[in-house]
Amino acid sequence: MNIDNTASQMRKGVLEFCILSIIKQGEAYPSDIIDKMKTANLNIFEGTLYPLLTRLKNAEFLTYRWIESNSGPPRKYFSLTEKGNAFYKELETTWNELANAVKTLSEAEQQYSNNNTP
Amino acid sequence: MKQVININFHGRVVPIEVSAFDLLKQYTASLSRYFANEEGKEEIINDIENRIGELFQQRINAGASCITDDDINAIIKSMGRPEEFEDQEQTSTTQQTKSSSTTIHKRLYRDENDKVLGGVCSGLANYFDIDPIVVRAAFLLILFAFGTGLLAYIILWVVVPSTSTTEIGGTRKKLFRDPDDKLIAGVCSGLANYLGIKAWIPRLIMLLPFISFAFHSGSWNYIGPSHFVGGFSPGILIIYIILWLVMPEANTTAEKLEMRGEKVDMNSIKNSITGEMKDAKTYASEKGKAMASDIGSASKRGIHSLGDIIGLIFKIIGYFILGCIGFAFVMALFGIAVASTAIFPFKDLLLKEGMQNMFAWGTLLFFIGVPVIGIITWIIRRIAKIKSNRPTLRFVFLGLWLVGLFCFISMAASLVRDFRASNRKSEEEVTLTNAGINKLEISSLVTKHKFYENNWFHDNFFDDMDQDTAYLRNIEIRIVQSPTDSFRVTTVRSARGRTKNEADATADAIQLNIIQQDSLLVVGKGIPITRKNKFRDQEVILTVYVPIGKQIRIDKNVGWGDNIHFDNWNGDDDDIQIDNDNNNWDEDVDYIMQADGLHTLDGKPHYKVLPDIEIDSDRSKENTL
Repeated sequence: MNIDNTASQMRKGVLEFCILSIIKQGEAYPSDIIDKMKTANLNIFEGTLYPLLTRLKNAEFLTYRWIESNSGPPRKYFSLTEKGNAFYKELETTWNELANAVKTLSEAEQQYSNNNTP
Repeated sequence: MKQVININFHGRVVPIEVSAFDLLKQYTASLSRYFANEEGKEEIINDIENRIGELFQQRINAGASCITDDDINAIIKSMGRPEEFEDQEQTSTTQQTKSSSTTIHKRLYRDENDKVLGGVCSGLANYFDIDPIVVRAAFLLILFAFGTGLLAYIILWVVVPSTSTTEIGGTRKKLFRDPDDKLIAGVCSGLANYLGIKAWIPRLIMLLPFISFAFHSGSWNYIGPSHFVGGFSPGILIIYIILWLVMPEANTTAEKLEMRGEKVDMNSIKNSITGEMKDAKTYASEKGKAMASDIGSASKRGIHSLGDIIGLIFKIIGYFILGCIGFAFVMALFGIAVASTAIFPFKDLLLKEGMQNMFAWGTLLFFIGVPVIGIITWIIRRIAKIKSNRPTLRFVFLGLWLVGLFCFISMAASLVRDFRASNRKSEEEVTLTNAGINKLEISSLVTKHKFYENNWFHDNFFDDMDQDTAYLRNIEIRIVQSPTDSFRVTTVRSARGRTKNEADATADAIQLNIIQQDSLLVVGKGIPITRKNKFRDQEVILTVYVPIGKQIRIDKNVGWGDNIHFDNWNGDDDDIQIDNDNNNWDEDVDYIMQADGLHTLDGKPHYKVLPDIEIDSDRSKENTL
C-alpha cells in the first residue's frame, strides 16, 4: 500500500465525471479537455484520455462528429448523448453525496483533533 | 550529423530524424501492445496517433525544420507512457503481466512480402512455422476437392490483417470513391486506386455486360447464371449501386493519400528493413527479460500457445461457418431477386393494366430490390469495417421498403378480390364424330413430357410457352362408366373472377380444343393464358364416359398423371370416387371397362387396395371380394 497508488485510485474514480462535465458545457476536442483539466489543476496524460473517450463513446454516452480544422485533417469533437446526460446526472448525485460525506467526516475529524490538541 | 527522412504520418508529410522515428515506432508499438485486448483498440491508437501528428504539425508550423528526438520525448511525456496511464479496468499489476505476455504473443498476419494472391498462405506458414509451399498445396487441394478452399481463402483474406498494417507511420490503403476522376460516382477509379491498376480496367469490366447485350438477345425464357453475367441484366447496376453506397468519397487530402496508399520509395524500403532489424533486437532483449522474470511459468506458456492455436482454429472455423451462412443468405436474396425478375414478364398474364401493374413494379423495385441492396451493403460495410452513421440513408431505405410493402399488400389485396367469385359450372358435350368405336385413346398435342426440363424457372402451370401465350395444364380427366353403349365426352369449365359474371365470362373464354380422330381423342396443349385472358385459376374437367366392354387408354404425353380420376362403376359422379392414391393406373396401358370398374386387359382392376386407408376401405374390400 503506497500513497501514489491510493491517490491515483482516488483520481481514477472521478476522471470520467470530470470529462463528462467538461463535455457537457459544449462540444469539445480532446486537447481542449486536457487544457481545461490543466487549468483546473488536474493533470492527466493524453494517453489516458483517449481510451476513456473511446470507452464512453462505445457505451453510447458520447458521440462525436468530424469538424474541419484550419490546420490539417478534421478533428473529432465530442458531445454528450441523452444517455450520457442521464449518466452524468447520476454521477453528479453520487458525487455530491460522496463529497458531502467526505466533508462531514473530515470536518468532524478536524474538530476532534482541534479539540484534543489545544 | 543526423539523417532526416520524410514520413507520411496520418495524412501529413513529416520530416523526422531517423532516430526520432525509431523512438516514435517503439512508442506506438508499446501502445498497441498495451491496448491489445481493448475493445476499440484501433480507434484509440488512431486517435492518439492523430494527435501526435497534430503536435508534429504544430512544431513544424512553429518553424522547426524537422522532428527531433527531443520533440518525440516531449510529446511522449505529454501523452504519457503506457505504464503511466491511469487505467480504470485493471489494476496496474495485472496490466503489467498482461503486457508482458502480449510481447511474446504471436499474431497471424497476411504476409505482404511473400504473396501470390493475398499473402494468406505465407502468413499461415509463418504463424505455424512451416514452408509456405505446403500451405499453398493444401489450399489448392481443398480448392480442387471441395471448392471450399476459395471461400476459406477469401474469408481469411478479409479477416486477417496484412503485415503492412504493422508498419508504423505508413498509412493503410483504404477504399474510397475518387471524386477527381469520375464518370458517374468514381467507383471504378476508386477500385483502380485500391488495386493499383488503371481505371479503365474496372470500367471495362463493369461495361462488359452492356456490350455483350448487343450480341445477345434478351430472352426471358432462359434464366440462369447467364442472366447476371451474360445478357443485359440489372445485376451489374445493382453491384455498382452497392459499391456506390459502400465506398465513402475521398474528400480531404488525407483521405486521398489513404486512397492511393503510401508511395514506396527507396528510402522507406531501407527504413523498414533497418527498422525491422532493430525491432528484432529489442524483441529479443524483451523476450529475454520476460523469460528471466517468468522462468517458473515457462511450461505454462507452452500450453498457452497451444491453446492459442486451438483458439485460432476455432476462430477460423467460426468465421468459415459465419461466412457460409452469410453467403447462403445473400445468395438466397439474389435468388429471390432473380426469380422475381424472371416471373416479372409473366405478370401481364395475371395482372390488370393500371393500378395492379403499377403496384407490381413497386413491389419488385422497393419490396424486393431495396432489401437486397440494403442487406448486401450492410454486410460489405461490416466486413470492410466502414463505420459511419448515415441515419438519413437508413430512413430512405426504410421508407422505400414501406412503399414497396404498401405496393405488395395493395397488389395482393386487389388480386385476392379478382379471385373471389367462382363461375356457374355446367357440363358441356364434346361432339364425337364416331361415338360407337371400341377403343378411345386420349392423346395430347404436346410431343414430349415437359415436367422436368432442365430449366431454372419451370412451373407445372406454364409448361408450354408460345410467343405471348402460356398454356395452363389445369385439366382434370375423369373416367366414368357410360350408361349407354357409346362413348361420351363432356367438359366442365371453371374460373374465378371479381364477380360471378366476370368469372362466367372468363370461363366462357377458355378454349381447349378437343378433336376426335378415329379412335384418338386429341386434347390441346392446355388452357391458353394471354394478356387478354388472364390467369384466373381456370380449370377444365374432362369427363370420358366409357361403355362396358370398351377400351380406354391415356397416352404418356398427356402427362397429367395427378389429374386423372376414375369414378366408381356405378357412375355416380361426385361422391363415389376412388382416391387417386389408390389407383395403380399406368399411362400408355389399355384398360377395359367392366361392370365393376376398369381392368387391364389381363383382368387386374385399376385400383390397388390399401388396407391403411380408412375412407373408402369398406367399399374397396367389397369391390375386390
